[in-house]
Amino acid sequence: MRKVLAAFVTLALVAGVSVFAYSPVPAGAQGGGAIEASVTYNGAPVVEKLKVNKDTKQCGTEAVIEKVVVGGNKGLANAVVSVAGAKGAPRAMKAEIDQHGCKFVPRVVAMTPGAIDIKNSDGILHNIHTYSTANASINKAQPKFKKVMTEKFDKPEFIKLTCDVHSWMLGWIAVMPNPFFGVTDANGATRIENVPPGKYTLDVWHETLGKQTKAVEVKAGQTVKVAIEMKK
Amino acid sequence: MPARARARVTWAGGVVGALIVAVSVVAAAGPAAAQAGDARAGNAVYALRCAGCHGEKGDGQGPAAELLRPAPRDFTTGVYKIRSTASKTPTDQDLFDVITHGMPGTSMPPWSVLPDRDRWNLVAYLKGFAPEKFKEAPKKLELPKDVASSAESIRRGREMFEAIECNKCHGTQGRADGPSRAELKDDWGHPIAPANLTKPWNFRGGMSRTAIATRIAAGVLGTPMPSFIDSVEKPEDVWHLTNYILSLGPGAPRYATLLTVTSVTGAIPDDPNAAFWTTRAPSNIPLMGQVIQDPRNFNPSIDMVAVRAVYNDREIAFHLTWDDPTESAGAGTQALPDALALQFPPRPSRGPERPYFLMGDASDAVYLLRWESGRGVLEATANGPTKLAPIAGSEAAGRAVFADGRYRLVMKRPLAAKDDARPAFQPAVFTPVAFQAWDGGAGETGTKMSLTSWYYLRLEEPESNRRFVLPPVVAILALAAMLLVVRVAQMRS
Repeated sequence: MRKVLAAFVTLALVAGVSVFAYSPVPAGAQGGGAIEASVTYNGAPVVEKLKVNKDTKQCGTEAVIEKVVVGGNKGLANAVVSVAGAKGAPRAMKAEIDQHGCKFVPRVVAMTPGAIDIKNSDGILHNIHTYSTANASINKAQPKFKKVMTEKFDKPEFIKLTCDVHSWMLGWIAVMPNPFFGVTDANGATRIENVPPGKYTLDVWHETLGKQTKAVEVKAGQTVKVAIEMKK
Repeated sequence: MPARARARVTWAGGVVGALIVAVSVVAAAGPAAAQAGDARAGNAVYALRCAGCHGEKGDGQGPAAELLRPAPRDFTTGVYKIRSTASKTPTDQDLFDVITHGMPGTSMPPWSVLPDRDRWNLVAYLKGFAPEKFKEAPKKLELPKDVASSAESIRRGREMFEAIECNKCHGTQGRADGPSRAELKDDWGHPIAPANLTKPWNFRGGMSRTAIATRIAAGVLGTPMPSFIDSVEKPEDVWHLTNYILSLGPGAPRYATLLTVTSVTGAIPDDPNAAFWTTRAPSNIPLMGQVIQDPRNFNPSIDMVAVRAVYNDREIAFHLTWDDPTESAGAGTQALPDALALQFPPRPSRGPERPYFLMGDASDAVYLLRWESGRGVLEATANGPTKLAPIAGSEAAGRAVFADGRYRLVMKRPLAAKDDARPAFQPAVFTPVAFQAWDGGAGETGTKMSLTSWYYLRLEEPESNRRFVLPPVVAILALAAMLLVVRVAQMRS
């Protein structure tokens, strides 16, 4: 009987904690709407290949540099879609980017201002070299025994991330002013939840194709679909 | 001279003397304490001394910039390579020190010839190119407690060097030949070479232990060299690394002024790695880029060759060692070959006349003992850098080996000359010699080379047994003479 009670209490505690952990969704989320963005690109994918002369065990013998990834139905991957001007508290979950197979995974990561964990699961020397202007730029070595390095980016900015040891490595950290953003998947789709109702401008950013905007109106409890076509 | 005038002169002399004393006392007071410079006065000095490379706007785009590698600093970004700070901007003293000592191994010369005042004014002016970067006071970098060099520390430094993979850029032996070398670019997209750790006298920011530890800890901003203070196992590892790096090469090049060719008996080994060669002390010869004839070589790859030379009763042999970060296969491939040449006048001259040092000219040829990758060693005659003709029936031989960013080469030929196109080598004669080198991987070919002016080499007198025979003979003769004198004296008395 006592065991059952203990199990029940534990379960209740766990449930309580999880509810607590998930409940503080961005302020103003109650009664918010969702945006389903679909980003397309009419041009051809841009993929460069490079022969690798080192660390072939981790990097392979050929580096594939995916500058423009176009998936099914011309969907454009790795585009950051964000709602300009929406108000909301920063995301609670720490952002994360990994260096795996001598690539940044994901290639584009979006976060609200704060800390990001930069992982090195390759177990070889990488160096975190950022080209930022609003935030202080960083160039720190991450040798094999440094599995994670945590860096802080406090100001909104699209930050280029490179590794000089493996010059083909390129990643982006999108530091966004509000939590209403998404990065498009292989089909060019992303969904932004709990956006406070109102009229906004939707910003789309892509590392090589630049920026585009589109007006959007979010209504409480509804999902608005937006299609954006990026041009060359 | 009237007494009063004389007094005035004496008085003036006294004042000048006092001033000189005062100035020297100030100058001798150790490193000049940071002073607030006058940016407007600095502007005048900048326009005269700096704008040629760094540009009037400080953007690193002066008229000379396109010829310079590494490229001149773009001051408008406020990003500086050399800093003693944990933050992104250097201290005034850091800027002053770079102006004073220059950037070794680059086109930036030391400006210690300028008065202190001018240099401080320049510091103030430079900061004005990126005022927002210098708003915050720089944060001093706190280095861990110094660890003196020892065998143990060097061993730990090597272990860390391998663990943090310094070799990726700097090479296994530190000769700047790492696999990432060709990919490296600075923040402006210009190609940039890693430091050759065996030549610390070329380290930007100096080769003091503190300077090296600071570069490792804080990184070199605007370049691929990252900061390592958070990326070593223990903070004091930066000192172990420093000690290891300083153990990789000689502390100074100690350039030679005369080449002595040592006399040996017996066979001379062809193997460039033979202990016969490597245990001999080298004569280091500095090389410069060829900038007289187009196309010029403003940024030579090879800046030094270490020479060891011997001769026996039949032949003369040269052992040459130089750093080249890229081995080129040469002949038969698309790559430009690597090459090295020794140059001599074909005939001895009675006076000071020698052929033009830049591989001779139309009227006076030079003789070359030349090695080229893929071709081997040959004898040639040149009437200028582009007029090279191999000599038929070459009697020269040799072998080169390449490992970890370094060539070792042995070139040999007979002492005697077969014809007028080649010189003969005789002991105790001063023979002019010059050197040329090409790094094919760096695009060097033809007039794009490193070279020296004329040096002299001298074959030391052969060892002989006379020194063991003559002195005893003289001693015996002297003794005999003394005995004779004594005998004569005794007979007379």
